[in-house]
Amino acid sequence: MSANVVSMRDALYEAPGPKTRRRVKIGTAVSIVALIALLAFVIRQFYINDQLNPRYWSFFARWTTWRFLLTGFLGTLRVAFTAGIIAMALGLLLMLGRISSVKPLSAVCHVITDLFRSLPSLLLIYFFFLVIPKYGLKMPSFWMITVPVALAASGVLAEVFRAGVNAVPKGQTEAAMSLGMTHGKIMAKIVLPQALRIVVPSLISQLVVVVKDTTVAYVVSYPDLMQNARVLISNYDALVSMYFVVALIYIAINYATNRFSIYLAHRSGTKVISRTEENPV
Amino acid sequence: MAEEYAGPIIQMRHVDKHFGQLHVLKDINLEVAKGEVVVLIGPSGSGKSTLCRTINRLETIDSGEILFQGVKLPEEGKELAALRAEIGMVFQSFNLFAHKTILDNVTMGPVEVLHRPRKEAEAEAMELLARVGVAEQAAKVPAQLSGGQQQRVAIARSLAMHPKAMLFDEPTSALDPEMINEVLDVMVELARQGMTMVVVTHEMNFARRVANRVVFMADGQIVEQNTPDEFFDHPQSERAKDFLDSIKGH
Ligand SMILES: Nc1ncnc2c1ncn2[C@@H]1O[C@H](COP(=O)(O)OP(=O)(O)O)[C@@H](O)[C@H]1O
Ligand SMILES: [Mg+2]
Repeated sequence: MSANVVSMRDALYEAPGPKTRRRVKIGTAVSIVALIALLAFVIRQFYINDQLNPRYWSFFARWTTWRFLLTGFLGTLRVAFTAGIIAMALGLLLMLGRISSVKPLSAVCHVITDLFRSLPSLLLIYFFFLVIPKYGLKMPSFWMITVPVALAASGVLAEVFRAGVNAVPKGQTEAAMSLGMTHGKIMAKIVLPQALRIVVPSLISQLVVVVKDTTVAYVVSYPDLMQNARVLISNYDALVSMYFVVALIYIAINYATNRFSIYLAHRSGTKVISRTEENPV
Repeated sequence: MAEEYAGPIIQMRHVDKHFGQLHVLKDINLEVAKGEVVVLIGPSGSGKSTLCRTINRLETIDSGEILFQGVKLPEEGKELAALRAEIGMVFQSFNLFAHKTILDNVTMGPVEVLHRPRKEAEAEAMELLARVGVAEQAAKVPAQLSGGQQQRVAIARSLAMHPKAMLFDEPTSALDPEMINEVLDVMVELARQGMTMVVVTHEMNFARRVANRVVFMADGQIVEQNTPDEFFDHPQSERAKDFLDSIKGH
């Protein structure tokens, strides 16, 4: 796709003149100095609090530490990926039901959407962990974390998709109708592809929320990254260093989520017009 | 069957429509014969677009009836979709599918609705694009084309369905003046080839050149209708006179 898409950045800012260029240079220099100062301060604080002591870091040299973290990392990926897929599929179905002209279906989907959207995911997790087993439905801890996280996200995603569908100009639908396309075809071929393109930024934010939601997997004792990190923390009594490393891993996962969503959107023939494309979070 | 049907292609009988309190179409009676070109003209808000859109049921009507090739318009579902496939529509704002290439815009109908093989549909689409003069744009997306080019693609997209009649709702109103003629020329050509057309437009030269009849609307009513030369040179009603004065002022 090589459309003459004006990027948001181009649309928002004019090309800089000489004065602006000077100011940008000064600003850049000041920010770099500030960043270095901040980093120095953090390292100093670590040092003062004895956090740089090798005993907090040496176990990172052991393969077993990384293997354990990797197991947790894969657990997190498995939950996040499965929950993300379920949430997107369910969100899409809820949205399609809600905008359907069949009134009862629309009403039911509306209620479900609002319910999932307004309940905190932790509450849903407790429901699957504590309430449902009481009624004899035993599921593995994987599903006890995955299903509630997916349900919580599906409510939000249904609304995200609906906003996207509403943002597709009415003329697109009318043109398709006038060609004799049926309702389902119009949705599948004309409206949804364009709606998806519109919502990619919100979609990414929501998938990042899914990844973050998985961090409460310890509630159901599922061995995700966070849970395994907690085990290591108590083994080595190394809170700060471990959280530091784990935070970096989560940032990496979410960065990858971001790139992956954009890649998917591109593959589906969608042009992503957003700053997210230029400045991934 | 439909091929032998010799009566008027479009018949509107005592059609009424409201938007809430607003009475937008008042007892509309209109017939369009095969191969006829009817120009709808009238002040803004007089109901021209609404009338046009009732013919392929983009707008429903409150009472009266509309027949296409002698058959009452279906109300919903597959039958309605099949009817719409036979009536081309060209919009003021082009409404090309923004996420599709020009070629895909034109093959969309034949492939998805008529289930023609893609290769065949593409070959015909390229012919149509050449006919309206935008063949070299086939691989681009609509946003890369000028308004005039987009509207010509929209016409090609309609033609790809081999429509029995075409509706044009102010097809040149959103265009820069220098692009109006490239679109009108395509429409004149269509009219010459015998296409049945209902055209909402204020382009008097176009109307004089190709219209068989000019229908003047005001306040939801058909006030008068005549041949273009008669209508433009000797309007009967006060409203038509006032209206013509106002557009000649430009
Ligand atoms: N969807 C709608 N809902 C409510 N009012 C409408 C709608 N579409 C058109 N109208 C009103 O109906 C009247 C006729 O509109 P229209 O058919 O677009 O007129 P024209 O095409 O002659 O300018 C106008 O007053 C317009 O505001
Ligand atoms: Mg109009």
